[in-house]
Amino acid sequence: MSATDTRRDTGPADTAAPDTVDELPRRRRSHPVVRVLRSSLAGRIAFPIVCLLVWLLAIRIVTSIWPFAVDVLPTPTQVFSFMWDELTGETLAPRNVYETFGISLRRLGIGMAIAMAIGTVIGLGMGLSKRVNAFFNDWVVAILAMPNLAWALFCSLAFGFGDVGPIVTVVLTGIPFVIINVREGVRNAPTDLYDMARAFGVSRADTIRHVLLPSLMPFMFAAARYAFALGWKGLVVAEVFGGEDGAGWTIKFWYDAHRAYGVIGYALLFVVFALLFEKFLFDRLSGYFFRWRPEVNAADVVEQRFDAPGVATATATADSGNGTHATTTGPKPERGAGGDETRRSHDG
Amino acid sequence: MAEITVRNLHKEFGVGADKIVALDDVNLDISGHVFVSIVGASGCGKSTLLNILSGIETPSHGQVQITEDGRPAAKGYVFQAARLLPWRTVMDNLLFVQKDRSEQTRARCQRYLDMVQLGDKGRKYPGELSGGMQQRVGIARAFSTEPDVLFMDEPFSHLDAITARSLRAELQNMWQETRKTVIFVTHDVGEAVELSNRILVFAKGGHLADDIDMPLPFPRDVADPEVAVAKANVFRTFEQIGALAVS
Amino acid sequence: MATAVASPPTSAPPRTSEEERVRAARRRDRINAVAWRLAGYAFFLGLWEFASGRLMDERLLPGPVDVLRTFGELWASGKVPGAFADTLTRIGIGFAIAFVVGAAIGILMQNRLLNGFFRDAVTIGVTTPGLIWALITAIIFGNRPWGPLIAIVLTTFALISVNVAEGIKALPKDLIDMAKSFGVGVVRRNRQIVIPHLAPYIFTGVRFGFSIAWKVTVLTEVFSSSSGIGFEMRTASQLFRLPEFLTWILAFYVFALLLEKVVLEVIERRFFAWRDTIKS
Ligand SMILES: Nc1ncnc2c1ncn2[C@@H]1O[C@H](COP(=O)(O)OP(=O)(O)OP(=O)(O)O)[C@@H](O)[C@H]1O
Ligand SMILES: [Mg+2]
Repeated sequence: MSATDTRRDTGPADTAAPDTVDELPRRRRSHPVVRVLRSSLAGRIAFPIVCLLVWLLAIRIVTSIWPFAVDVLPTPTQVFSFMWDELTGETLAPRNVYETFGISLRRLGIGMAIAMAIGTVIGLGMGLSKRVNAFFNDWVVAILAMPNLAWALFCSLAFGFGDVGPIVTVVLTGIPFVIINVREGVRNAPTDLYDMARAFGVSRADTIRHVLLPSLMPFMFAAARYAFALGWKGLVVAEVFGGEDGAGWTIKFWYDAHRAYGVIGYALLFVVFALLFEKFLFDRLSGYFFRWRPEVNAADVVEQRFDAPGVATATATADSGNGTHATTTGPKPERGAGGDETRRSHDG
Repeated sequence: MAEITVRNLHKEFGVGADKIVALDDVNLDISGHVFVSIVGASGCGKSTLLNILSGIETPSHGQVQITEDGRPAAKGYVFQAARLLPWRTVMDNLLFVQKDRSEQTRARCQRYLDMVQLGDKGRKYPGELSGGMQQRVGIARAFSTEPDVLFMDEPFSHLDAITARSLRAELQNMWQETRKTVIFVTHDVGEAVELSNRILVFAKGGHLADDIDMPLPFPRDVADPEVAVAKANVFRTFEQIGALAVS
Repeated sequence: MATAVASPPTSAPPRTSEEERVRAARRRDRINAVAWRLAGYAFFLGLWEFASGRLMDERLLPGPVDVLRTFGELWASGKVPGAFADTLTRIGIGFAIAFVVGAAIGILMQNRLLNGFFRDAVTIGVTTPGLIWALITAIIFGNRPWGPLIAIVLTTFALISVNVAEGIKALPKDLIDMAKSFGVGVVRRNRQIVIPHLAPYIFTGVRFGFSIAWKVTVLTEVFSSSSGIGFEMRTASQLFRLPEFLTWILAFYVFALLLEKVVLEVIERRFFAWRDTIKS
């Protein structure tokens, strides 16, 4: 699409949100400072500030006008000094934040590895055989729709306190995503490439190694991403109900101690933790694994250009974000694997 | 010398009401270092024939035999879309179809990459190349196995006219140099007349309708009156068979 | 394959028999699939029944039969409809607010500045476990009714936003341009192109949103509520009646699954049938 096109018609916006976007092209030749102020980077910086202001305002309202609206409302200072203490290793909880997250991460890692192993086998079977698919299908859907609360409770009852319960919960929450993605990967097998290998008389082992496995990779990766995001949520619930340590247990510790600032501070640590993984680990890994796929980056660029109201604005904003839409939404299916089922990912 | 023998070849897809006959009683003998083009309307079974000859598909019945001096012949295939492994570099794509990975083999692959003028692109991924370059990699891959028989299924139909033209010239040179047997499927009668010794015309329903010899010397110039006459003759045959109807 | 079909028996009479053979083969396939599916049910239900009482104490893991019986008892006690109604009301209100908020954010995100502003909000909404919101709202609001509502909104709005934003981004510009070139007015354009285009996206958002909303609702009720499924679960666990506890959640799970899989999917298929035809 050409620049003139974009300028003439701001596309979706003119029907959906007329006054927010339509005015942008008219001001395209505005001062650079104005342009930066209107950029998405500015919005991004504004977000935490606005949140903080709303928070302070809420405290104001609670203390002066409406005192019975809440039980407690901690101040930002309380929360941030709590977080600072945690991050420097001073804590009233039995373990500091690094040990705590370390414990949880280990459980998550073990659970994910098991889920990936079993899920891959079942997914391969379901993709290759209609009968195996008929055998498992409804149960995969049923397990997928099960609230992790149920798993967490069941596992804490079944396995008592310790590592086993949380790990099994991670396996059970993660496994349907792995199965569905692998099945989708098998169903989308690149038959043209198999035919090619056949025409050249390539051996079976080589075909598996160079065609089948690489073609499954994007699906496996999407599976890992979902299993991670969902397994993490399941793990937290499991640790709350059946743990004696770990991140979930610790936030429950602060909850039971009635330290609201502790709960909120810990929740913010959760957010930081998840973002670190999502943005750094998975985006890096994805870049490494799929370096052969230049079109991914190309697509992102195109998307971003489409995002931008005008070409000038696009270049002016030094918003280096790979944070296009798809990335922001957390776990992203590398190739739209699993469609419906997989996207039903973000359960409580 | 490569020998291709096809006897009573019949191929159908599907069963019952949605049965499709793709090839109907095809008989064919090809031998020696010839460049054979197969032309015909869309859906008349050209790709199916190539897939059977190359072993991708099996015939419903009938026999196919491809030998080189009595032993089974080595085959190469250039597809309509390049069909490269997107997750392997250009060089690894060539190595993927080789029998071994020795230094010698690598050198040979490099030589064929040079031949299609992509000697410096060995470390690139296919996604980083243009469509024409990818197709050239596909050609280099097919030649790099040094096959006795080379199958090509509309290798230039996705490309723009200029790229296609230069690739045709390149192909012609490579064929002259290596003297393989080439079976070349195309929609483009001009292309067939320019490149081949022999043109097989297929009609709807998968019959082999005509078999035309093209004895003119290479390289052929489209502007040459003799070539133009030959082309007009092939077109006339087409009209008689009715093969052009949906082309 | 070549040997199997070596003789060509295709004259007029065998052809009908061949068609019959094909139909028979298809029927066999269908029966096979059903048989395997039933085998799957038998296997998993059997495993469950076997595990209860043998691998694990019955009081901890009631089997399917026990669950059904417990449900019968709960139903007889008359608590079930009230608890369901309370939870469903909460889901309804919370989800309605989440929908409005989420859709508004999805629309606002078309603007670059606001996109930056809400981007992190959406990421946080998607990645933060619902349990965290449940705990935060529980500790701040105690037993007040808007605690669970806020938790529901915070966990579901992002999903709606994402779907709405995606739908807007994929608006068929070519069709809109076409309509403009024919001088079709804004209102007609919205009615004929924009809304039909967005509806499936929004519906998908609703479907996913619901599947999350009900889970979070139950979870928040466990921590801070004096009615509903979650509250009943908390009561049961405090009395150490574990089969009752599991039965509550399983009952609501089955109910939600039916709503989601049957009702919502039927609606989707009914109203958005044109989508499938385009896809295929
Ligand atoms: N795998 C298949 N399953 C079912 N039908 C097939 C299959 N492959 C080919 N056919 C059918 O066989 C017939 C011949 O197909 P084929 O691909 O050989 O045509 P073609 O001559 O190569 O056409 P084109 O010039 O368009 O490539 C077509 O009617 C096609 O629909
Ligand atoms: Mg073809």
